[in-house]
Amino acid sequence: MFETLNDPVDVLTAFVDGRVRPLRFRWQGRVVRVKRVTGEWTRREGNALMKYFAVEGGGAETYELCYDPRGPRWVLSRAWTG
Amino acid sequence: MSDAARSGRDTPRRWILLADMDAFFASVEQSCHPHLRGQAVIVCGDPSRRGVVTAASYEARPTGVHAGMPLAEAKRLCPHAHYVEGDPEKYVAMSLRLLEHYLTFTPDVEPFSVDEAFLAVGRVGGTIDEARAIAAGIQRGVLDKFELTASIGVGPNKLIAKMASGVSKPFGLTAFDQAAFQAHFWPLDVQQLWGVGQQTSARLKGLGLATVGALANADRRRLEAMFGVIGPHLIDSAQGIDHTPLIPYHEGVDPKSMGHEVTLPEDCRDTLALEGTLLRLSDQVARRLRSEGFRARTVTLKLRDHRFETRLRQRSLGRATDDHAQVYEVARALWRELWKGEPLRLLGVSVSGLVPADDSQQGELFAVDDRATRLREAMDKVRDKLGEAVIVPAGSLSYRRALGHVPFGAVSPRTGRGEGAKRDAATGDDRRGGKPEGWPDPTARAPRFAPRAESDRGPKHPTQRDGEPGSDGAGPDPRRRGDATPPRRVTRRDRDL
Repeated sequence: MFETLNDPVDVLTAFVDGRVRPLRFRWQGRVVRVKRVTGEWTRREGNALMKYFAVEGGGAETYELCYDPRGPRWVLSRAWTG
Repeated sequence: MSDAARSGRDTPRRWILLADMDAFFASVEQSCHPHLRGQAVIVCGDPSRRGVVTAASYEARPTGVHAGMPLAEAKRLCPHAHYVEGDPEKYVAMSLRLLEHYLTFTPDVEPFSVDEAFLAVGRVGGTIDEARAIAAGIQRGVLDKFELTASIGVGPNKLIAKMASGVSKPFGLTAFDQAAFQAHFWPLDVQQLWGVGQQTSARLKGLGLATVGALANADRRRLEAMFGVIGPHLIDSAQGIDHTPLIPYHEGVDPKSMGHEVTLPEDCRDTLALEGTLLRLSDQVARRLRSEGFRARTVTLKLRDHRFETRLRQRSLGRATDDHAQVYEVARALWRELWKGEPLRLLGVSVSGLVPADDSQQGELFAVDDRATRLREAMDKVRDKLGEAVIVPAGSLSYRRALGHVPFGAVSPRTGRGEGAKRDAATGDDRRGGKPEGWPDPTARAPRFAPRAESDRGPKHPTQRDGEPGSDGAGPDPRRRGDATPPRRVTRRDRDL
């Protein structure tokens, strides 16, 4: 099931066609490679625009990452680890 | 069939499509989380709280779970399903991408809800087969690009397109001209007609009009006597006649109402907590009014008790307002009239009779409470910068203390018609198919295309009356003029403050 985490994570990203793409992130001591970005959306909090990415990891697990410009920082907001 | 006949007008028109995404919220979750594909997915509010089912995937539906069902019942019927907390912004983002897709086929796209859009396609006087081919192309594109399925209805007008879209789901494509519409729908129960809800249906059946066909052939004067101006509209609808224009999103329309409602974590009869809740809801509604540049003339209160009985009552104000204190004052007065001390499950406050704030201020320059206005402006600035939950009316804190959370939703959230929305034309009986109460309507933030944007629900069906109680779950209109400011939402962290 989904776990709501909101854990700060380190994320390696690339800019592709002017858009940021998460490539891999470190969570709980391990590095998760992003196989595919399956969704992308934004949410405004005050004057901060948070960017969310649903991503597939190497296995069957999926995650939702959030870029919070107020840090700036990345947060693993939800994870589905089976 | 002639153009005139199929449009119900004298001039030829283009064919109308209604693209309706299948189990939209659940499908978006399956798309974002591929391991959920092929599995029963139920989208809801916080699964650990009580609430209702927002959307159920087609895999979950054979168990009897449907949108609007209490979550506890869904868990009993379908314990193996994946219960996913819905994320309105996620669905709005997908809705916008879908609209972009539709716009590659025609510039005439009217978002109707977060998961539905009307399109005018083909050439004027084109054939139904041409329209059907375009619909098939749109449907394939949605599947290829987004891995989602849409059911599309094709018709000479919005009514027929809308009703045709529901004939074959999921991934259906149904094209009806007026004759085919009549052949299909006339034998069916009158409640199948768009705009006819449970209460109107019961009244029609009381007149011996049990089927759509019987209504189509009913005596106009008799119906008018029973239902007022809605009566002849009902007959027209049953005949497949609808003159409602398609309004492309870029033309924009103003919203008719706005509102917020919340399902309480547990049935509540605590006066302090309930009044605090009303204050919070009134504040949210007033904030929305101000942020979108409107004032309201009518306040409507909605109560749902522990037996699921829903009551609405509305009252007009002496003059239009965007002040939460005035909205609250009326909402509380209505609440005191309606509430008999029974445990309440849901509270809602909505406003209607909207007028542009600039217009409504004329002539009352000297009546404005300057201090209160400056206070509201200061609060709005703080919220614009830091978010909705950072500053709230003190009275609403009693609600938080008593119930432990703030209903989420802020400026733009609005309940309303999303998946499966339907309402009763004559009674205002809203049979919306399943946003959990208190859940921001994604459509509220929906389509925000430049230069105009945001909308929630599209126009009402012609048989709907403006300002009737509960006539709106509220929320900005997708075609409303607007800016590119994305919606905001009170976060979990905010809620837990």
